[in-house]
Amino acid sequence: MNCPLEAGNEGILLDYAAGKLKADVLTQMDRHTESCSACSQFAGTQATVWQALDNWGPAEVSMDFDRRLYARIEQDVSWWTRLMRPLNPLFRHSIPLAASAGVVVMAGLLLNRPPAVPVAPSPQSAQVEALQPDQLESALDDMEMLRQFNQLIPDNAGPKM
Amino acid sequence: MSDRVNKDMGGLAATLDFDAELMLRVKEGDGASFAILLEKHRLPVIHFLYRMVQNQAVAEELAQEVFLRVYRSRGSYEATAKFTTWLFRIATHLALNSLRDGKHRRLEERLDDDSAETPARQVSDQRPTVEQRMLHQSRLEEIRRAVATLPEKQRAAVLMHKYEEMEYSQIAKVLNCSESAIKSLLFRAYETLRARLAHMA
Repeated sequence: MNCPLEAGNEGILLDYAAGKLKADVLTQMDRHTESCSACSQFAGTQATVWQALDNWGPAEVSMDFDRRLYARIEQDVSWWTRLMRPLNPLFRHSIPLAASAGVVVMAGLLLNRPPAVPVAPSPQSAQVEALQPDQLESALDDMEMLRQFNQLIPDNAGPKM
Repeated sequence: MSDRVNKDMGGLAATLDFDAELMLRVKEGDGASFAILLEKHRLPVIHFLYRMVQNQAVAEELAQEVFLRVYRSRGSYEATAKFTTWLFRIATHLALNSLRDGKHRRLEERLDDDSAETPARQVSDQRPTVEQRMLHQSRLEEIRRAVATLPEKQRAAVLMHKYEEMEYSQIAKVLNCSESAIKSLLFRAYETLRARLAHMA
């Protein structure tokens, strides 16, 4: 095994001192440190540092840490969300209910739809449709009489009808 | 910052870790998942920040800010890296800013009292003597000073490596460095600590 210090592979030495090496690499390092005083010294002092750092235990945490955090989170929530929050349970149950009721009502309306009603014709077309053949004949006679009357009147006698 | 962190993570995570899945549920509006994440990561984040700034009150304040940012950025969260990488990146960023601003020095009330470091209460006949306690406190103070003298990035790297047991690759992502740079950084940091603490053997 190449000397980790010479090879610039310090990570192995750190892991060796921390006891993080895999079994096969650990065996190689054990053998190497027997013959390499620099690595042996490094590993020894590093282990001391490691143990010293172990003495530095964790700090205690305030009991109200979570409460303070949630209070700050609450401040972040928009006024609209806060306003609507009491109504949420109501909405949670009533919205599906209202949606279901709406579907039922729509289905009912579609199923009970009245038969199609013919569109009422406009007054003008109604007048045309209401014209009888004898009325038409009479109108044509009137127009013929008017034409004959116009022919009897001389050209300079004034405006024709 | 959190949004930027999300985008800067680079590389898609092959598989989502459980925390990332929880965070995606938070994104969907699941408050219970946020509570689980808080419960799981509250202590590691506070302890890391405490060891970084060495002030309990500031550490808790920063931890609050960390989780607040996590919650605020839930809408833009994308599981592109391990959740803890993202979380500690936010925590490190805030700690480094706090150290640079010197905020922790302005607080008059130092809550980093001895209680946290006091060994757990034991049965009466095994309770440490006054001398043992004093020796423990003295050593502890020495360790804290030694860590405090490390440059900020080295300090963060050592704390993540030693106490959070993070891989080099993850520390590298948190500190936005290459893995080889982190190994070199850690080597130099431990070298300094060895020089200061070797006599404790």
